[in-house]
Amino acid sequence: MKDLVRQNLLIHVDILDLLNKQIKQEAESSAAYLAMASWCDHNGLVYSAEFFYEQSAEEREHMMKIFHFINDNGGTAYSPEVANINHDFASLEEIFETALDQEIAITKSIHNIVYECRNKRDLTTENFLQWFITEQMEEEQTMRRALELFDLINTENVGLRFLDEKIKEIRDEANPA
Amino acid sequence: MDTIYTSKYFVASQCDNSRRFYIDFGHKTVKFSFCQLLALRHKLKSIDIEQHVNGENIHGLEVLSLCNREHLFVFNTLEILDLQELIHGTFAMMEINSVLA
Repeated sequence: MKDLVRQNLLIHVDILDLLNKQIKQEAESSAAYLAMASWCDHNGLVYSAEFFYEQSAEEREHMMKIFHFINDNGGTAYSPEVANINHDFASLEEIFETALDQEIAITKSIHNIVYECRNKRDLTTENFLQWFITEQMEEEQTMRRALELFDLINTENVGLRFLDEKIKEIRDEANPA
Repeated sequence: MDTIYTSKYFVASQCDNSRRFYIDFGHKTVKFSFCQLLALRHKLKSIDIEQHVNGENIHGLEVLSLCNREHLFVFNTLEILDLQELIHGTFAMMEINSVLA
């Protein structure tokens, strides 16, 4: 009997499911960052808003990277449903803490897929995910740097505006022109 | 045509010449490309079978359109469970075949 699965699909079927879950997680993350950007915009924190708009676009790029990888290798990528996005935040610090938690969750999820790739001997997907491992390390670093600012700067009154301006510097450091 | 897996109500087979899969639903046999088989697998995995017993799905029926809406099937709870087993078993057998090939 011919191996028709392998003829059609380079990715292991179980890994395909995990990658589709990852697409959903990246989409949810993109939508969550958009909600954070909106909150910052409404509260006059223009640099933080810009930071989260860019972050949202980046998460969508990650999603599309996985989306194309699946379709290019014979699988079917599913457009994800995104619902129940939180728009209520008590402070900018809470937003950055939530953002860091979100990045940690994505890192864990990527690592989990890599472990599964090793179990299933899917070396192609494991190699593809190496880029995400490095990217997640950088994403976490950026969020940690932002959170550290809250320990250094008093966020009452003008301090919050000062901190907002510093967020731009963090973004510029992470993405040099 | 090689039989891949047989469940209580259904049979999955593959034809090496046409590189297509076939599922015998009893009254009708449907031809699937690999992509269409993946789509059926995805649809079956997305069904929340708990709704059949907790009263949310009061009729206990699922309507499945297959092969880009070329076929429309209505399945009861037992048939859905059996179809899930068929697809699970089919992919497991194909994985074994991949190892042996």
